[in-house]
Amino acid sequence: MIDFDDVSFSYDSAEAAAASPVLREVNLHIDEGDLTLVVGRTGTGKSTLLGAINGLVPHFTGGLLSGEVRVAGRSTRTNRPRDLADVVGFVAQNPMQSFVTDRVEDELAYGMEQLGLSPTAMRKRVEETLDLMGIAGLRRRPLADLSGGQQQRVAIAAVLAAQPRVVVLDEPTSALDPTAAQDVLGAVTTLVHEVGLTVVLAEHRLERVMQVADQVAWLPGDGSVVLGPTAEVLARCDVVPPLAALADRLGWRQVPGSVRDARRRVQREHITVADAPQRRERPASEPVATMTGLGVRYGDVVAVDRVDLVLHPGTVVGLMGRNGAGKSSLMWAMQGAVPSSGDLLVAGSDPRSLPANQVGRLVTLVPQSAGDLLYLPTVAAECAQADEESGVPAGTTAATLVRLGVAVPPDRHPRDLSEGQRLALVLAIQLATEPRVLLLDEPTRGLDYAMKAQLGAIVRRLADEGTCVVISTHDVEFAAAATERTIIMADAEIVADGATRTVLTSSPAFSPQMAKVFHPRPLLSPAEVVRLPVAGRGELA
Amino acid sequence: MSRVLARPEVVILADAALQGARLAGRTVHPWAWWGWALGAGVAVTLASNPLLLVLLIAAVTFVVLQRRTKAPWARSLTLYYALAGLVIAVRLVFQILIGGLREGTVLFSLPEIALPSWAAGIRLGGPVTVEGLVYTAVDAGRLAGLLICIGAANALANPKRALRNVPAAFHQIATALVIAISVAPQLVESVLRVRRARRLRGGVRPGVKGLISVIVPVLEDAIDRSLALAAGMESRGFGRTRTGRGLDWRLGLTLVVAMLGVTFGTFALLGLPGAGSWAVPLLLIGLAAGAFGLHRAGDDLATSRYRPDPWGAPEYLVVGCGLATAALAIWLASTDPAMAFGAFPLTWPELSWPMLATAAVAALPGLLAPEPPKDAA
Amino acid sequence: MTATALTRNRPQTALAGFTSAMPISRWSKMMLAIAAVMGILAFAWPLFLRPGATLTASTLSPIVLAALLPMVLGVVVVQMTQHELDVKGLALLGVLTAMGAVIRPLGAGTAGFETVFFLVIIAGRVFGPGFGFVLGNTTLFASALVVGAVGPWLPHQMLATGFTGLVAGLLPRLGGRAEIVLLACYGAVAGFVFGILMDFSFWPFAVGTGGQGFDPVVGPLENLRRFLVMELVTGMGWNAGRAITNVVLITVLGPPVLRVLRRAARRARFG
Repeated sequence: MIDFDDVSFSYDSAEAAAASPVLREVNLHIDEGDLTLVVGRTGTGKSTLLGAINGLVPHFTGGLLSGEVRVAGRSTRTNRPRDLADVVGFVAQNPMQSFVTDRVEDELAYGMEQLGLSPTAMRKRVEETLDLMGIAGLRRRPLADLSGGQQQRVAIAAVLAAQPRVVVLDEPTSALDPTAAQDVLGAVTTLVHEVGLTVVLAEHRLERVMQVADQVAWLPGDGSVVLGPTAEVLARCDVVPPLAALADRLGWRQVPGSVRDARRRVQREHITVADAPQRRERPASEPVATMTGLGVRYGDVVAVDRVDLVLHPGTVVGLMGRNGAGKSSLMWAMQGAVPSSGDLLVAGSDPRSLPANQVGRLVTLVPQSAGDLLYLPTVAAECAQADEESGVPAGTTAATLVRLGVAVPPDRHPRDLSEGQRLALVLAIQLATEPRVLLLDEPTRGLDYAMKAQLGAIVRRLADEGTCVVISTHDVEFAAAATERTIIMADAEIVADGATRTVLTSSPAFSPQMAKVFHPRPLLSPAEVVRLPVAGRGELA
Repeated sequence: MSRVLARPEVVILADAALQGARLAGRTVHPWAWWGWALGAGVAVTLASNPLLLVLLIAAVTFVVLQRRTKAPWARSLTLYYALAGLVIAVRLVFQILIGGLREGTVLFSLPEIALPSWAAGIRLGGPVTVEGLVYTAVDAGRLAGLLICIGAANALANPKRALRNVPAAFHQIATALVIAISVAPQLVESVLRVRRARRLRGGVRPGVKGLISVIVPVLEDAIDRSLALAAGMESRGFGRTRTGRGLDWRLGLTLVVAMLGVTFGTFALLGLPGAGSWAVPLLLIGLAAGAFGLHRAGDDLATSRYRPDPWGAPEYLVVGCGLATAALAIWLASTDPAMAFGAFPLTWPELSWPMLATAAVAALPGLLAPEPPKDAA
Repeated sequence: MTATALTRNRPQTALAGFTSAMPISRWSKMMLAIAAVMGILAFAWPLFLRPGATLTASTLSPIVLAALLPMVLGVVVVQMTQHELDVKGLALLGVLTAMGAVIRPLGAGTAGFETVFFLVIIAGRVFGPGFGFVLGNTTLFASALVVGAVGPWLPHQMLATGFTGLVAGLLPRLGGRAEIVLLACYGAVAGFVFGILMDFSFWPFAVGTGGQGFDPVVGPLENLRRFLVMELVTGMGWNAGRAITNVVLITVLGPPVLRVLRRAARRARFG
């Protein structure tokens, strides 16, 4: 269905292309009806590979492409993306950014209008597509009112309406909470299994999708592409989902495709593992922040309902819950940027009563869209500005940035940074004031496994230095690995609060994969899996 | 038992809307409302009789109140009323201060000041007369009435649907406008978000840097959005049916000649006394050639339209009422002596039956046009 | 290994940053010229109006002009967008139009504090005269549509703003601070010219004819003199407000916004 013949691509001139191409002599063949997962670390050219399938690369992006890409026998050399619209459907990362109209039904019809389909055919296809994606109830709703998962399903439906034979999705779930992500991935699986479409999907969080993938295309970063069966490719690639890390620890050659496979193999091979390590108890310390009856309202909407919370220095706290549960509002209220009711005390004072430029010494927040904080043309200028704003000696922010251990070129434009680099920059800016409490709102969005591990190490170090770090996240695996206390919010209230191990492993929805594999042993991450040499009592306790 | 029946209508309505149900009612084609409003506008500009003027404005307002939806633009009529009031007020102030109509019953007198000759010898002040004020108010009232007619069209016609229903030649520009209208609320949101985020970095500082720190991220966001949007449109087939050839020279020539015809015709109507006999046909030919050229320019494009707004009996009725109003007013202006209202000497304007009929025809869509669905935007 | 010749190698010029998101064809130039003539007629019609002409000053002229101008504008804009604007330019046009429509109400009505000119001037500068012209038109149209303010003044405003953007794209190519000074001066002039033209086109209408106001009998020069006196007394505050707004916005926000838009032009790789 999709053929790459000797494809090389570079964004710059021919000389640069020879030196470091994004794609180098790629040959691959994807069969009809396959779900292919594209994996690779950030910046290895996943988006370029996806864009090359429908010709956005190079027709739209510019750059130099050699070799040939053919989809259903049609070459992207002679067909522009628009000419391939009835063959390849392309779903971008952020659906809200690529909607042309503002109503569900109109958006579905838009592509077909461009193809010039007859009104009767369009009418019928819109209805079919609404049903296929399960969004018939949304047909008259404005797109802006939909939840993230609904928007993504509408975006998929909008390309499906043109009845393509290939659907390409570039990280469709990166902004979604686990339930919504499952929803969208369920819809994608339907396309493969029920409709028989060929799907190419890029995704950072492999644990969600690897069990449904037929094969994996791995981009090691040198321009090549390794395509093969999921279990084999994952066993040697540098993108390591928890199950691959488990396979590595247990010395398995094949990566289990799902929790079920892993659990069966563990039972079959009578593998026993050590108990979860006991967390060393910290000496009880004075709380750094206390909230009593903290509430946030937007008009008639209650975002946070009289929450009581005590935070201790030197801890990393995970804040979980579905989108709209009040996580962000709670964080913004803690920072004092959003009006709230109730009592709030951070390091002895109330951030709400302090001028904005003094709050930074108490508590600081890295917002979900970290780029909102950046407005200068270079990284160095942003750092200098942060020094001035925080009243710290020149060079402090730049030094913090170095200390975070993420290489960020100082002369780069902040908008050209990768997600991880941008997060590091904003983190450095926000840490310049040496706050007692650091709040991170959804920092793991768009980060690959290695960067998430790096972020985990950074917050651990900060906590060891005495900072209290609160991280809101949808990423169970990250929360399991990086936090020691977890708070779960739902419906504007805190519904669970306690040690991460207890809170996460006691609920199936929030359980990390290791806890599921080794149930009832409450293991949180592959790093905690220690195989006992003797097959003790024969099976898991 | 009958709990469901006891539920307030609003709740049922909300449920139905959530499930995508279709509510009763039918929105009238936006261009039909524009046609009706422009017809009424022509009548209003011809209505030199203040009674007819007031009746027509009342008729137009009645239709808006009867058939507008809950959409934001539906509230714009108030704005136009304010504007209309302003137009009349400005004209009256100018008439009092420097106006030339000073005969008749004197209300009060302002001290006269003659400006020096470099100021074109303008005289300020003088006697202010009832006749002068009435004449000015009626004259300005016609412009004010026209504004209210246009406001009525703004309030009744859904601008998004109007843009969806443009001739093929306007497809590109209409697409840009549709994008603009869809994106604008998101930009507002983006501004609010960035402003809020500013507090995290030491707060919104006054002055230049504060402004820049909000505008730059918003603009960068907007640019990112436009590139993502363009990629999305491209991969969904935008512009695919276009042949890609430039403008055909015959078509180009037609359009240029049409523009020249309109431009020269306009000049002739303004600056060449007695040119009406040939300038008006020239203008009309230019307009026709332009319309033909634009129509042909759209042939290049073969996009289709999903669920186009129907044009049926209600639309013919609405436009028909507008045209009939205009036609009646034109006929009245040339035949009915009651139409000629002069303020000098001041008399009470007369009202004739045909005038009442004209206003009634303008008000008909308020009763006969179908009601919009309750959730219509 | 055959290289597909899809890349667009732009010539490396010393004056990078002057891209054109929209080339202007010969036809478009011709049509723009005619539109300019029609614009002069539409704005300065009191100068052309002779006693005894078919159109009269009282109500008919501005209405007829406001009805004919859209046709002329429509032909130009259709010609320019249909054949000379690619999908990236179109999306950019849409988003910048939205930007203009959002910032316009910020200043509407307060002593000529008009914010759209700034955006149109800067965008015309970065993306070229053709883009500036179309953006001027779409911005005014969209903002009128959003707030429901479509009226007989709209075609005049669109035409004037369009040419404001067009000329901004034609100004000599300077760099650094000289460019900002140039744009600020242009902004000031444009603010005054726009105000005076708009006022002039509706002058006979606002003040009424005869007496001290407009009178076709006294001839164009006398009418012009009367108007200018009137404008000095009544309209100059607004015009000055508009000009000062332009100068301040361009001086203060010009450099960062120019930078952002130029980066966008580079990323979009316009031809």
